[in-house]
Amino acid sequence: MNVILKADGLTKTFSLSAKQQKLQNTKKKVITAADHVSFEAYNGEIFGLLGPNGAGKTTTLRMLATIIKADEGDAVVDGSSIKSEPDTVRSKIGFLTSELKLEDFFTPNYLFDFFSKIHHIDPVTSQERKRKLFEKFGIDKFAEVKVANLSTGMKQKTSLVVSIVHDPNIIIFDEPTNGLDVITAKVVTDFLLELKEQGKTIILSTHIFSLVEKLCDRAGIIIDGKMVACDTLANLTAEKPLEDIFFDLYSENAGGAE
Amino acid sequence: MKNIITIMSKEFTRFFTDKRMVLMTILPAVLIYVVYTFMGTMMARVVLPDEYATRVFAVNAPASITQVLQAADIRIENIGANETPEAKERLINKEADLLMIFPADFDALVEVYDLQTAAGPAPNIEMYFLSTEPNSATAYHQITAILDLYETSLVNKFDINRDNTNADLATAEDVAASIISMIMPMLLFIFLFSGCMGLALESITGEKERGTLATLLVSPLKRSELAIGKILSLAVLSFLSGLVTAIATILALPNLMGGGTDGMVDVNIYSITDYILLALIILTVLLVMVAMVSIVSAFAKTLKEAGQATMPLMIVVMLVGVSGMFGGGVPTEPFYYMIPLYGSVQSMSGIFSLEYSTVNIIVACISNLVFACIGGYILTKMFNSEKVMFSK
Ligand SMILES: Nc1ncnc2c1ncn2[C@@H]1O[C@H](COP(=O)(O)OP(=O)(O)OP(=O)(O)O)[C@@H](O)[C@H]1O
Ligand SMILES: [Mg+2]
Repeated sequence: MNVILKADGLTKTFSLSAKQQKLQNTKKKVITAADHVSFEAYNGEIFGLLGPNGAGKTTTLRMLATIIKADEGDAVVDGSSIKSEPDTVRSKIGFLTSELKLEDFFTPNYLFDFFSKIHHIDPVTSQERKRKLFEKFGIDKFAEVKVANLSTGMKQKTSLVVSIVHDPNIIIFDEPTNGLDVITAKVVTDFLLELKEQGKTIILSTHIFSLVEKLCDRAGIIIDGKMVACDTLANLTAEKPLEDIFFDLYSENAGGAE
Repeated sequence: MKNIITIMSKEFTRFFTDKRMVLMTILPAVLIYVVYTFMGTMMARVVLPDEYATRVFAVNAPASITQVLQAADIRIENIGANETPEAKERLINKEADLLMIFPADFDALVEVYDLQTAAGPAPNIEMYFLSTEPNSATAYHQITAILDLYETSLVNKFDINRDNTNADLATAEDVAASIISMIMPMLLFIFLFSGCMGLALESITGEKERGTLATLLVSPLKRSELAIGKILSLAVLSFLSGLVTAIATILALPNLMGGGTDGMVDVNIYSITDYILLALIILTVLLVMVAMVSIVSAFAKTLKEAGQATMPLMIVVMLVGVSGMFGGGVPTEPFYYMIPLYGSVQSMSGIFSLEYSTVNIIVACISNLVFACIGGYILTKMFNSEKVMFSK
């Protein structure tokens, strides 16, 4: 198996405004959201980033997706550096996170076509892809409804589908099942497994243990911005269930950083 | 290039399929037309209530004044002193507009009255009217004004242009051009700017605030393509909105200037070349305006903040716009035309007043393009900056 994504010492600090300091109840002027995060993902696997709220999962994924720049470190995504070739990286990945919204005014159908054009997908391929994906997620029923009038779940499904209009090899999903009911969540997890079957590499973040256990080949545990463990799921859970491992690591690491 | 077109087509779809947005663009134009026409009609009514025959009763009307009023097309019906109560009654019943009561020997009294000694009261004219009745009020004001003039002429020391009624040597064309060139550049400038302000705020800050710009930023789209696509589409849309408003203004101006048909403002005085140069100036200055507003919009985190941040810009644009109204004609040195905004206002003034050099207009256009490119470059940098795009 070959490494398709390699993160090397990714570090990101945010400076906090006085207002943010108050909100987060801290005196610190800067917060290290990601602290030298390194990991590798192999071609065709599902890699999970597991961590509590505020651990730095989203921050790490945003750096990988090149929408924020790393202060330190670099990552190579399918041969392209996030530092020197962000445009190329963006064309190779599909990125889904809750901060990326779709324009209320447009319909799923229009948005799919629009992003297909942005990715230069030829119309025949994109129509075929749209038919399949819309059918799988049941979007065909509301394909002509404006995003403004969709439910949270419908929006989430549309965002997911729109993020992969270009059939990327590397898919980076931040909490893909957040806010979805169990049935829709299952559609999504089944879809992720299907993508894996097709040979795609998936990086996902979550704070749900069962999701990691069910989907991931390997996982990294992030606490307070640091990657405290990173291994195959089999190795991680050799002695204890994932949950226990996590709590052990949490009590070992969480105190020091505060 | 393909991406720029994709972005532009999205912006156009967004605009033209949204009835609310289209309406918001057309509404100011309709309002301008209605308000100008209304103002013009009101003004025309105050100046001359044409076609209306004022009904004036007079007691002891002297020949001198009857003549003066007749010259102003006001006919007087003479009544006896004993008929005044009846005349007042008719005034209240709106059957008459005005009642004037003169002293019996008015002309003689005026003759003997000496301004220097001012012994005793000056001869007095009693006038009765109905202030609630527009025709009556107008007649009152009009006749008072005429009588005032007549009074002045009685102590006449010298005249100006007594016989020459065509003393103004300006042709109809000049008059039209000077009025249009005074008002139009400023109006156009402000309309164009407010049009592009609304659109750019919505399209940049709005998208940023709602998180839809972020979705575009994770696509392989180049930031420069996004910046160019946005600026071009916004400029085209602002041009359309400016065009609609300008047409409404041009159509309404004759109404504003009083009574549509009297040819005060004739827009046919401009040639095709004038129109082409004007379009060039407008299109290029719009690029500058859009770039400016876009940059401010990109900095702002919320629509409210963006609205506040663009106010100073609006004020600058208004001041620059007003500068076109003063300063005794347009400057001739090309240097002035390189100054962004100012150069364009002067160009517009020049075109409207038919006193321009094509070279200066071209200089202004090129300067606009250069500044628009600088603006586009800055916007690209901003789309690239996570501080600007993603800080909360
Ligand atoms: N733009 C920002 N400015 C300031 N601080 C930030 C910013 N973005 C993230 N942070 C801080 O960085 C830390 C990590 O945030 P991040 O969103 O990566 O956490 P997460 O692991 O995704 O958490 P969750 O499970 O709640 O989504 C948090 O303390 C957060 O407050
Ligand atoms: Mg998160």
